[in-house]
Amino acid sequence: MAVEVVGAGQQAGVEVDLAVDLGRGLVLRNPLLVASGTFGYGIEYGEVVDVQRLGAICSKGTTLRPRVGNPPPRVTETPAGMLNSIGLQNPGVDAVLDKYAATWARWQVPVIVNVAGESVDDYVEVARRLDGHPGVAGIELNISCPNVGAGGLQFALDAGAAGGVTAAVRKQTDLPLMVKLSPAATDVRGIAKAIADAGADAISAVNTLPGMAIDRARRKPLLGNVYGGLSGPALKPIALRVVYEVAQVVKIPIVGIGGVGSLDDVLDFLMAGACAVQVGTAVFADPVLPVRLVDELAAWCTANGLGSHLELVGVALPERRDKPSVKGGEYRP
Amino acid sequence: MRLLAAELIESLEFLPGQWLQTYHAPALAAGAQAGQFVHVRTPDYSGLVLRRPFSINTVDRVGGRITIHFRVTGAGTASLARMQPTQQVEMLGPLGCGFEVDPRSRHLLLVAGGLGMAGVRALVDEALAANRDVVMLFGAASAMEVYPSNLLPDEVEYVVATDDGSFGHHGRVTELVPRFEAWADQCFACGPLPMLAAMAHQAAGRQARLGVASLGARRGCGSKAPPLGSRLARRRAWLQVSMEQNMGCAVGACLGCVIMGVKGPQRVCREGPVFAANEIAWEARWP
Repeated sequence: MAVEVVGAGQQAGVEVDLAVDLGRGLVLRNPLLVASGTFGYGIEYGEVVDVQRLGAICSKGTTLRPRVGNPPPRVTETPAGMLNSIGLQNPGVDAVLDKYAATWARWQVPVIVNVAGESVDDYVEVARRLDGHPGVAGIELNISCPNVGAGGLQFALDAGAAGGVTAAVRKQTDLPLMVKLSPAATDVRGIAKAIADAGADAISAVNTLPGMAIDRARRKPLLGNVYGGLSGPALKPIALRVVYEVAQVVKIPIVGIGGVGSLDDVLDFLMAGACAVQVGTAVFADPVLPVRLVDELAAWCTANGLGSHLELVGVALPERRDKPSVKGGEYRP
Repeated sequence: MRLLAAELIESLEFLPGQWLQTYHAPALAAGAQAGQFVHVRTPDYSGLVLRRPFSINTVDRVGGRITIHFRVTGAGTASLARMQPTQQVEMLGPLGCGFEVDPRSRHLLLVAGGLGMAGVRALVDEALAANRDVVMLFGAASAMEVYPSNLLPDEVEYVVATDDGSFGHHGRVTELVPRFEAWADQCFACGPLPMLAAMAHQAAGRQARLGVASLGARRGCGSKAPPLGSRLARRRAWLQVSMEQNMGCAVGACLGCVIMGVKGPQRVCREGPVFAANEIAWEARWP
């Protein structure tokens, strides 16, 4: 006798809709993005990953002028994580658009261009060149790169500067605009609020946290650039805390990033207040992980009787959603 | 490039701390070329977030097998060394650009320093299969670390140098190169960066010393020199080197393994790991 196996709590016939709206018309088919810097320009993994099944691709950090990046070694493994100090190596926005935009335009999967700069003018100029360009689905403003001298991280540590650069870019483009927070800020809530007030459509949290490693044989810092950004599972609790705090002060969508490597991690970020997640470091060990997580999330929603993962978003937040968290208020880094 | 499960068939600690492992991976073996590498997800990856790159040491297309050669240096290689036959690991590969042997080259000089043997070993088999003569120069710190000659085919002339003189030539392996530079049509090297830099320096003066023409189009035939970094340019280069660098993705996405070339930053995983010696900025200055 054939028995249809139905999981506990599963409602027959419930279609799971994983779509998520990041604002200004940028609707992703699912909430699994690949994080900037780990997936190049989307073509590198093409032979082994069905990139069209991703929610979106965040491109490698792109600047106005070409950058050669930092001296090697640029990456090293650390306990439950890794450090990188690529230094925003990229051929410059014009070359990136020349080389990849036509391919992106043919893809179903939206490509969000990660934009970095040394000054407000840099960010604005890159945004101007991306605006309306076929193949560019949105901008992720990288105001939190720890690996460049001028600019970079400073914008993400001060509410005024973060709001200023966001507003300046907002004026220049109608593209969906997501701003990436740094976990290095002492209080992310003020910064997130300034970014939201300045007209960002979404917030991604978080970028890497500055760290370093020692090469004991050489008795010197291991990385060529001395400092690098920490990513991977080691960063996850910090990222989760930032998402949880930011979710209580802004109403725009939050995309969680930091150590996502399993369905449990995705669920944690959703419950903390993110409506989508980016997979970064875990892609190196398992390139097909983001695509697999899409299926796992859909199956989990079905098994738990949810029509959409959005029903989970922020369920772990304190009930008074518009007021700052009491716990967050007590937290003094 | 494929993502596949490879089954361990044999694991051998052939030198203290150095392992030779044979994996059954037919799809990998079918497409692998000497000089390419695989990116391996270690079996126990609790706390480890990166794969480990290994040169494809030997390829057995008929048996669908490849071998890798590594030294236990940390948690990842230690967990590989603990593996038992029939266990599987996930491999991504074959990756990168391999050695480019000019069809006209009859005499190949291979130079390996220590673990660099893993980088050039596969070329021995490819060259012998194509009826080429192979001389293998190998350098190690002492006799304890000399790659056993029984792991090389009999047809290879194997010359060893040790730093402490406990076996073979007393001195650096690069000191043996001049003996063969006139004989060799092409040279392929893998080893520590100072060794490769010294060889590149030697190679740059080779033509002037020997007064020989380089491989390539004859003057007056009208063809221009192929662009630096192209397969053709590499094929015509006397010295090709297999480079090493810490690696993230191994497919060219993360730019973690970049070294400085004369034409700008080069990804070891994509443009390399094999480069013509004249593509590398040996005294790299980063702006």
